[in-house]
Amino acid sequence: MSWLRISLAVVAVSAALPVHAQTVTITTAGGDYGNAIKEAMWGPAAKELGYDVREETQSDGLAALKMQVTSGAVTTDIIHLGSPEGAQAAAQSLLEPLDYKIIDPKSVPDGAKSDYCYPFDSYGTVMSWNTKTYGENPPKTWAEFWDVAKFSGSRALRANAQDLIEIALLSDGVTPADVYPVLSTPEGLERAIKRLEAIKPNVSVWWTSGAQSAQLLKDGEADLVVTWNGRAQTVKADGGAVDYTFKGSVIGTDCLGVPKGAANKEAAMKLIAGMTQPARVARLTDFIAYGPVNPAAYKGGLIPEDRLKTLATAPENAGTSVFSNADWWVRNGEAAQKAFDEMMNR
Amino acid sequence: MTVAVDPALAADARRERRFFLSLSLPALFIVGLAAILPILWIIRQSFLTTGGEYTVGNYEKVLSSGLTWSALATTVELSLGTLAVCILLGTPLALALASARPRVANVLMAFVMLPLWTSILVRTYGWLVLLRRDGLINAALTGSGLTAEPLPLVYNFTGTLIGMVHYMLPLFLLPVYAAMRDIDANLIRAAASMGATLGQVVRTVILPLSAGGIFSGSTIVFIYTIGFFITPAVLGGGKVNPLSIRIERTLSTFQDWGSASVLGILLLVLMALIGVMFLAARRLMTRNKVGVAHA
Repeated sequence: MSWLRISLAVVAVSAALPVHAQTVTITTAGGDYGNAIKEAMWGPAAKELGYDVREETQSDGLAALKMQVTSGAVTTDIIHLGSPEGAQAAAQSLLEPLDYKIIDPKSVPDGAKSDYCYPFDSYGTVMSWNTKTYGENPPKTWAEFWDVAKFSGSRALRANAQDLIEIALLSDGVTPADVYPVLSTPEGLERAIKRLEAIKPNVSVWWTSGAQSAQLLKDGEADLVVTWNGRAQTVKADGGAVDYTFKGSVIGTDCLGVPKGAANKEAAMKLIAGMTQPARVARLTDFIAYGPVNPAAYKGGLIPEDRLKTLATAPENAGTSVFSNADWWVRNGEAAQKAFDEMMNR
Repeated sequence: MTVAVDPALAADARRERRFFLSLSLPALFIVGLAAILPILWIIRQSFLTTGGEYTVGNYEKVLSSGLTWSALATTVELSLGTLAVCILLGTPLALALASARPRVANVLMAFVMLPLWTSILVRTYGWLVLLRRDGLINAALTGSGLTAEPLPLVYNFTGTLIGMVHYMLPLFLLPVYAAMRDIDANLIRAAASMGATLGQVVRTVILPLSAGGIFSGSTIVFIYTIGFFITPAVLGGGKVNPLSIRIERTLSTFQDWGSASVLGILLLVLMALIGVMFLAARRLMTRNKVGVAHA
């Protein structure tokens, strides 16, 4: 009798409680960066919203997204992509449109706005160097980076056309404002590729992952490395003989999108809105030097003054840099990459 | 009476065969599921556009690209290079192991097998520590004054080859060692007693009798190395790009599954061709051996 009463009580209680908390699955790049995003952004937001958030990691978000959507087995609700990949994914209709009724449209500057992938942080592709090799006299411009007579030493570049063809044009005397207009002419791309071919004999490693570029810097395997500012800053902060400059950097953004057919679409939009609140994207810089896109994050002292100079989008670093143009890459990415691969092959 | 027993025995045998066949069904099912279905899927994918319509465009695109053929050449160069070094290093090593006393041979064998028990990633990164610009080897070379500048040992073809040989050597060694251990020691004694020098013994007795092992070892090396990805990706420094890396690139940078599938099929065809070549060569060899015996 008492047994029956207890069971009835249990049934009554479990019926009264919500059966499950809302679950949302987020896919990030993992590593230090993925952890930073968790600690600063979705961790606190999930607690606030009462969501049960599961994390998956993928070093190649776009390939994973495409596989999930085309095979009809979408397991993630939010995916972290580079903005060029985000634009590509949108063009291939792999993403749900963002719900700007849930996400604040004013949190993104006009130039960076996207209907499909919400840009939340920014990084610069920068020049970094070994301070043991160059001391107080490192190359100061991309033209000097290309000057192998004046600055001997081995170079390491990413084995990818992205950012490099912009940098190649900067090294050839093109002004930041003219980079995309020049690239959009038929000779522009060829000019950039020729420039890369000229420096190829002095490139000892073509790196394929950000972690690898950091390792090359740390080990002194290469004297001059084109890498992302967050990687260079991490090596520098760890006591590596390394420095870097934002002069002439190519600025890119990372974004959050919702895969087409995601199971928890609305909750995903709410989590994106929650995790990108100014205080949270500002706190991301506690872990990694990727500056918020939301201008509100730079106000009210959310980011300590001395940290601002390590962020690509901080006001003082903006002048000489080029904003990577995701739309250009969607239209011309394949041709640019093919020309690049053929150059590597010659 | 005996006539009456036979059908019962035959039925027994049949039942047994059926039983064994049914035991193998799960394995066959898994092989079918895990090997054949994906291959069929890849073949289908290779004829589809990104929009899902049928096309032969992927084949045209891949086969007309110079990048494909240079990747193919790199693949074959890496495999042949690894094989050549494995034969040069592995055959004498197998000979030494086979002629050592059993207890010594066992200890040596454990050393040879050790790398097989370590993850390939760990081993590959281990080579980076040894081979890089200020790595152990270059530090020793420049420190002792043997070379003025550090040698480019890694992030190139040399480094990739070192890593691949390190991985493949034990797998090459095993069949060669097994073949050499099975050689009747009396044959070697006989040859020696007839006045053969060591070189002649190796050439006329040991090598011909262990040819089968060397052959199996070579096949394993070739088939394995054709699809190698991690080693060239980590130790090649972006300059060594075999088909496997081309496939990854086509997928990750271009999301072009059709072309990646064509490249995959190309790899499969290459493997099949090499398999057939090895089989044919092997048949030729055994026929020759029979010929020699008859003469």
